[in-house]
Amino acid sequence: MKKILILLVALIFVAVGCAPKAVQTTPPATSVTDRSLSDKDKDRTGISEEELAKAERDRLLREQERLAGILKDVHFDFDSYAVNSSELSKIEGVGSFMKGDRSVRIVIEGHCDERGTVDYNLALGQKRAEAVKAYLLKLGIESSRIRTISYGKELPADTGKTEEAWARNRRAHFKLDQKG
Amino acid sequence: MKKHSFMAIVSAFAVMLMLAPVSHAKVYLTITGETFKKITIGVPYFKGEKTAGSSLEMSDLLNKDLDFSGFFITAPASLIDRELLDEGVEKGEVKFASWRSIGIDIVCKGRVSVTNGELTLEAFVYDTLDGSMVLAKRYKARQSEWRRVTHRLADDIIFAVTGEKGIMSSRVLFTAGRRNLKEIYLSDFDGQNVTRLTNYRSITLSPSLSPNGKYLAYTSYREGRPNLYVTDFDKKNEIFVDRSEGMKIGTSWLGNSTLVYSHTSGKTSTIYAFDVGSRSKKVLVRRDGILTSPTVSPDGSRLIFVSDMFGTPQVFSKTLPSGEPKRLTYHGRYNSAPAFSPKGDLVAFVANISGGFEICTMNADGSNQRVLTNDGTVNDSPQFSSCGRYIIYTSLKGGVNRLNIMLFNGDNKRTLRFTDFAEEQPRFAP
Repeated sequence: MKKILILLVALIFVAVGCAPKAVQTTPPATSVTDRSLSDKDKDRTGISEEELAKAERDRLLREQERLAGILKDVHFDFDSYAVNSSELSKIEGVGSFMKGDRSVRIVIEGHCDERGTVDYNLALGQKRAEAVKAYLLKLGIESSRIRTISYGKELPADTGKTEEAWARNRRAHFKLDQKG
Repeated sequence: MKKHSFMAIVSAFAVMLMLAPVSHAKVYLTITGETFKKITIGVPYFKGEKTAGSSLEMSDLLNKDLDFSGFFITAPASLIDRELLDEGVEKGEVKFASWRSIGIDIVCKGRVSVTNGELTLEAFVYDTLDGSMVLAKRYKARQSEWRRVTHRLADDIIFAVTGEKGIMSSRVLFTAGRRNLKEIYLSDFDGQNVTRLTNYRSITLSPSLSPNGKYLAYTSYREGRPNLYVTDFDKKNEIFVDRSEGMKIGTSWLGNSTLVYSHTSGKTSTIYAFDVGSRSKKVLVRRDGILTSPTVSPDGSRLIFVSDMFGTPQVFSKTLPSGEPKRLTYHGRYNSAPAFSPKGDLVAFVANISGGFEICTMNADGSNQRVLTNDGTVNDSPQFSSCGRYIIYTSLKGGVNRLNIMLFNGDNKRTLRFTDFAEEQPRFAP
């Protein structure tokens, strides 16, 4: 029973963690209330075994990605969507991770630095994500397991104004696809 | 690219003179050497009601508007002595010789009255050279709309003196917000009546209004990826333009109901013309790599767009429907964000010049490129006003994007501020 309670708490944290930052409507009080549920109340939460199992799987996946550092950002040169040879090993790492677990689906986000025009950067971010996807396809990953989204220069990883910050922002960023 | 040429300004004004329906124009736009003379205008405090939102504030605001237009030098109040301040507004009461003696070419007199909340402004604009009347007009509105009345008077004076339509009564469409929260806004040019048009609590980008103002196109991430939508203001409904994979950005209207947009997905990019009425689309250009910022000339005969087909972003032009793309920009490794002037003769764009992204203009055939900004930051999204005299654009200052406006020759730069947020992608609303 204790284990289930822990899972429950984990599930809540995962759920909160998954919510897009823009819509932080989940009041922080929820977790406090849920955590104070007595053993008797647990059955009434309506959380099925599958959901708990999925939460556990997600948690493990997250743990895995954190520990192994598999989903590392692929970096690009200014105004370029060519994948540098130094970055290929990162994509190969993601490729073998996806081969190892066929349930994994990913989103590749394309990002740009703050220089350049809004419209062009939105297209450039798309091409960066597509370039990384193309290499994963070459490695034998199914297209249906990969989505691409460009954010242009909307979501910088580093808000600094230095060459280093710009270099960090020119990236393809991997995320597990929670939709699938 | 050379710095803006004064000859071009001179010839632009020469064109204005010919077009000017008011014959007075010849008196004021004296061209001296390589530059043009601004007209000195005196606006003594308006007579009448001294309550809030009335005569004093109206004449102050009028001075600001006229100064901003770039056509005028506004005489400071300190220049105008008591006697001139106190004289009446009728022609017989104005001492033109005294006004001339302090260097004032045009004098604008106003008389304000308020009855039952209704404001009446009578404006008299004289040429001090011969005492002729340039403009005499009566404006009526609710007292709360005194700003609107003043902007209209400013635009009327600009039109009467120069033959050009002013922009003081116009509206601006733009995006504003912070990380992950960006919405579309519409505001009066002077910052009044700021209205948020969207509320998706997501990233909303690249707004553009159809020429008749009926449709608003934009890209929103609210469904988890950047999809393209059109809001129909009349029917108050929303049309899904493109929800397929990839990046979709609508940037231009061909007539009142055809949205021209770019779509980047997989290996290729495509520029489409989407008919809002029939919901059908056709391909205008398709290429490998990036195609973006499609903009149709005002007469609908040509399309300009950005492509990286030669390795770097450059501006291309294509005759519609089936001409071959012709490259317009050769200077530098980054030319993007083109926008047509309302007459279709000029194209504003952004070029990377020694590290900075600067606003430039060129003729529609790519000739006569001129650099209008020179601050080494990221300037973006240039758009002409409907009169073609102004360019509104974004400038990254202190790490925050701000809206700016300048004359089409780069003079008279001003920062505009409508909201408490960073502001981007401005356009004059039709």
